[in-house]
Amino acid sequence: MNDFKYIGKSIGRIDGKEKITGAAKYVDDIDFGAGLLYAAIVESPHAHANIKKISTKKAEKIEGVIKVVTGAQFPFRFGLYMHDRYIFAQEKVRFVGEQVAAVIARDPKTALNAAKMVEVEYEVLDPILTVYDALGNMKDDSNKKFGHNPKKMIHPKLSEYTHVPWFFPQDNSNIAHFRKIRKGDLDGGFAQADHIFEDEYTVPRYAHCAIETHASVGLCDHSGRLTMWTASQSPHTQRHLFAEALAPLGFSHKDIRVITPYVGGGFGGKAGVSMEILAAALATTVRGHAVKVLWNRSQEFYNTYQRQGVHAKLKIGVKNDGTITALEQLLYWDAGAYVEYGANVVNAAGLSATGPYRIDNVKIDSVCVYTNLPPGGPYRGFGYSEFLFGLESHINEIAKKLKIDAVEFRLKNAIRGGDKLAYGAAMNPNGLEDCIKKVAKEIDWGKKRPIDPSLPHLAYGKGFSLFWKAPAMPPNASSSCFLKFNEDGSLNILLSGMEIGQGYFTVMAQIAAEVLSVPPHKIRCETPDTDRNPYEWQTVASHITWSCGNAVKKAAEDAREQIFDLVERALEMKREDLYLDSEAVKSKSDISFCLNFKDFIINGISKKDGSFRGGPILGRGMFMPEFTSALSDPETGQGGKPNVHYTVGAAAVDLQVDKETGKIKIHKIAFAVDAGVALNPDLVKGQITGGLLQGLATVLYEDMRFDDKGKLLNANFTDYKIPTTLDIPEEIVSIIVETPQMDGPYGARGVGEHTMIPAAPMVGNAVEDAIGIRIKSMPITAEKIALAMLKEK
Amino acid sequence: MTILSEFEYTRPKSLKEALKILAKEKGAIPLSGGTDIVPLLKDGRIVCTTIVDLKNIKRMDEIGLSRDKKYIVIGSLVTFSELIKSKLIQKHFPVLMEMAKTVASVAVRNRATLAGNICSAVPSMDSGSLLMALEANIHVESLKGKRVVSINKWFKAPRKTVLKRGEIVTSISLPLINKNKYAGAYLKLGRYQGEDLAQVSLTILSLPEKSYRIAFGAVSPIPIRASIIEKKFQGKDITEELLQEAKVCLEKIISPISDVRASEEYRMHMAKVMMERGLEVVKKRYHGEGPEYGVTHL
Repeated sequence: MNDFKYIGKSIGRIDGKEKITGAAKYVDDIDFGAGLLYAAIVESPHAHANIKKISTKKAEKIEGVIKVVTGAQFPFRFGLYMHDRYIFAQEKVRFVGEQVAAVIARDPKTALNAAKMVEVEYEVLDPILTVYDALGNMKDDSNKKFGHNPKKMIHPKLSEYTHVPWFFPQDNSNIAHFRKIRKGDLDGGFAQADHIFEDEYTVPRYAHCAIETHASVGLCDHSGRLTMWTASQSPHTQRHLFAEALAPLGFSHKDIRVITPYVGGGFGGKAGVSMEILAAALATTVRGHAVKVLWNRSQEFYNTYQRQGVHAKLKIGVKNDGTITALEQLLYWDAGAYVEYGANVVNAAGLSATGPYRIDNVKIDSVCVYTNLPPGGPYRGFGYSEFLFGLESHINEIAKKLKIDAVEFRLKNAIRGGDKLAYGAAMNPNGLEDCIKKVAKEIDWGKKRPIDPSLPHLAYGKGFSLFWKAPAMPPNASSSCFLKFNEDGSLNILLSGMEIGQGYFTVMAQIAAEVLSVPPHKIRCETPDTDRNPYEWQTVASHITWSCGNAVKKAAEDAREQIFDLVERALEMKREDLYLDSEAVKSKSDISFCLNFKDFIINGISKKDGSFRGGPILGRGMFMPEFTSALSDPETGQGGKPNVHYTVGAAAVDLQVDKETGKIKIHKIAFAVDAGVALNPDLVKGQITGGLLQGLATVLYEDMRFDDKGKLLNANFTDYKIPTTLDIPEEIVSIIVETPQMDGPYGARGVGEHTMIPAAPMVGNAVEDAIGIRIKSMPITAEKIALAMLKEK
Repeated sequence: MTILSEFEYTRPKSLKEALKILAKEKGAIPLSGGTDIVPLLKDGRIVCTTIVDLKNIKRMDEIGLSRDKKYIVIGSLVTFSELIKSKLIQKHFPVLMEMAKTVASVAVRNRATLAGNICSAVPSMDSGSLLMALEANIHVESLKGKRVVSINKWFKAPRKTVLKRGEIVTSISLPLINKNKYAGAYLKLGRYQGEDLAQVSLTILSLPEKSYRIAFGAVSPIPIRASIIEKKFQGKDITEELLQEAKVCLEKIISPISDVRASEEYRMHMAKVMMERGLEVVKKRYHGEGPEYGVTHL
């Protein structure tokens, strides 16, 4: 393990210099010249209304306006997993801020002013703002009647929508997908239990808050070639969705080119296609001119994706010794107006809502419910943060009631490699137990900070949480890579994953460097252009290190084999003796032999007669998991293998609560993750720090507020708070556990999303430990704590 | 965001010139730091015909002692960052520095001015309670002449002051306190440690002979001095009983609202907690102990 030259080393970021110097370009930095047109969007002021009439005449007359576009020109539906989203609203608007029309003008100011002149007549309908309002009938939970609500359907044509085979929309309801898991004998499990504990937990919506807002530029030339520049995590998936949506206009995949430069933060918000469809559609109406759609901060909040809210009903059976005998978890998701992506969050959570526990008898209902709030979608953690807040809080309460130490309780029930998952497949080998023990030791579990008599208003507490997550993706999501050598032996790697700040380029360079024995600083990774870079599904699901890493490794190995082929053929050397070292081919049998890459890698090896053998070395690699399947029994979820593997870990926090103000101060966090093999430990630590901060913000102060008409009240950083440098915990200890992922590149698996998942429950548990009050809804703000303390008095 | 409205921009070199433009043009508004006005323009919440940028006016960016040496005079272009750095402020009014450090973020403090803060007069303003406690005077000038307004009379309603069209605030003067024999504390409630608009703000001064000045911000339409409580405390040791009495009394003095930032209930609760904690801080500081100025107390 230790004889790697580049793997497992904290190599500096290969994109560092570009970003520090400002050389790195983002979509809004690209200069499209004076001919660039700008679009402003006409947005719905209502959460739910019928569109009666749109009049564009006044706007069209304004000087500088090129065109006003409405839904009439684009009556098409699209979406990633389900075609339920519209380019512009058709007939109906379903959330405040939804795009109804667009004005294309010569400058942004004219576009914005003209957008105000577009007159839209609405028939306002009652907005459906909560899952329970949307579900309607809850009493009879025989399958047909649950959620029956035909008169209040947000999508009356739901039954016509196409979707992936693992979604189960319910007719005459607002249920876009119903994921059921039934494992073992639930009633039997509860009958075995000495105690049954029930509770309910609520998690609200959250926003990604990437510093770069969404930006998209489209250019459709007169030959019908559409080029898109987007701030995206998903260039190829975008091309595919653009091609699907615009197929009625005659576009095919080859006609569409998506160029994605660096991205200023994604967190899931720039996965799939959201506002980018507007630039694509608008470009087709002004052929020959590039048109830019740039979201402002408010639009970033209400018209991309939001993390979905969830209401969780938990029922757990336990024996006196702490063995969990049964789990029932009902998850009702507020998925918003369109769920083409969000329904898969609901699916992923449903498959894994047991958490990293070994439970024989399980019932999970994970229900994706349309509401008239902004569309829900992918967000770092993909549903796991949401269900784990309830589950890990509830587990803690159970341990307390049984008078069993919370860590002991978790160790007793923690899942192990080979255990049967909720959907029947086997759990991958993992170091969860090791993570738990190391975190407990680091946080000094079981020892409480003494109360300072001079500060009687302070209380101290510690909280623990486990976490797990599997990549949520189609069973055939793939990655590919081209690897090109240059004359001097340096490399350009073409791939289509996105460097969104996580260090992906650096890690891919390390993998190629290890195989080819070329130092990483002689390797460039190129941001995607779908014309030139090979296919990648999306940079999501924390799967890119694992999946694309495998593709890069295969491409490097392909190049290496070509090099050996060539040397064997041109110099008649024994192939099995050859190896690569320090940018050269060497031989085990002839230590004097050294053929530097720069002397043959492009121009070949010369023979005595002056002729050459070889030519430019080009590697290619592809990876697709061939062992997964999303097909299973819709009534039980049994039968498939929808997830490739899980990454697991544990975390704990040591904090203080001011009993009067409710304010929390975090002294220390210990966080352990089983990274398989950490390809670059510093980058793993970067993910841990960043993810924890993001997670802590969701539990401590991020707080999305809607009014009773469904309008978001704090679509800005004045009133939607994300952490600053002043809000970093005093100490974060990162612990990396390594149980190699056998099908991962050098044993690696993903860690990106996992780092924020345990934040909320561990804080909730620590607050309970400190003041004896269990807060069952996020966020756990100072106000909530202080008012709860007042109530206790 | 783009500013969609059209207006003229002018940057006069003298106060007189600025006053002339403001007198002549009905739709002209003065601008110092612009940290409030520019976002309002972007949001389309104000429109104007002319922006009169005051930044070129000489000597309005100075902090100094008045000729009679009884006041510290703060020019209306003085920014919060300059207040934090000023030796004069640190010597005479460290509590002002303590307040200034809580204003927004470094970048905003580099632009935003104390005078601008009281002219915008939003209820969540940071400086309101402090200037009330320091009994500041506002110096105003127009083509018609000069006048001085006590801070007590300055605020009329949210975003409304006694400043008339055509008038400019030229400076704010703070009466020096009895050879600096006093201690102060500024407390601000925010939702996290980063920059935030106050949900409650409070300034307490402890003066000789057990005399106090207490003023609140963000818990009533305009900053408010808790004179009734000051009188209760006058000349007395603040016992637990007296403190409880004051807390009850506070409920009648302030009138917090519920909004996205905090509920009425939490603001009321915190106003009480902050008063108690503020009193502890000034008590210690008065005796040369307690935390140094410029720290946050929550």
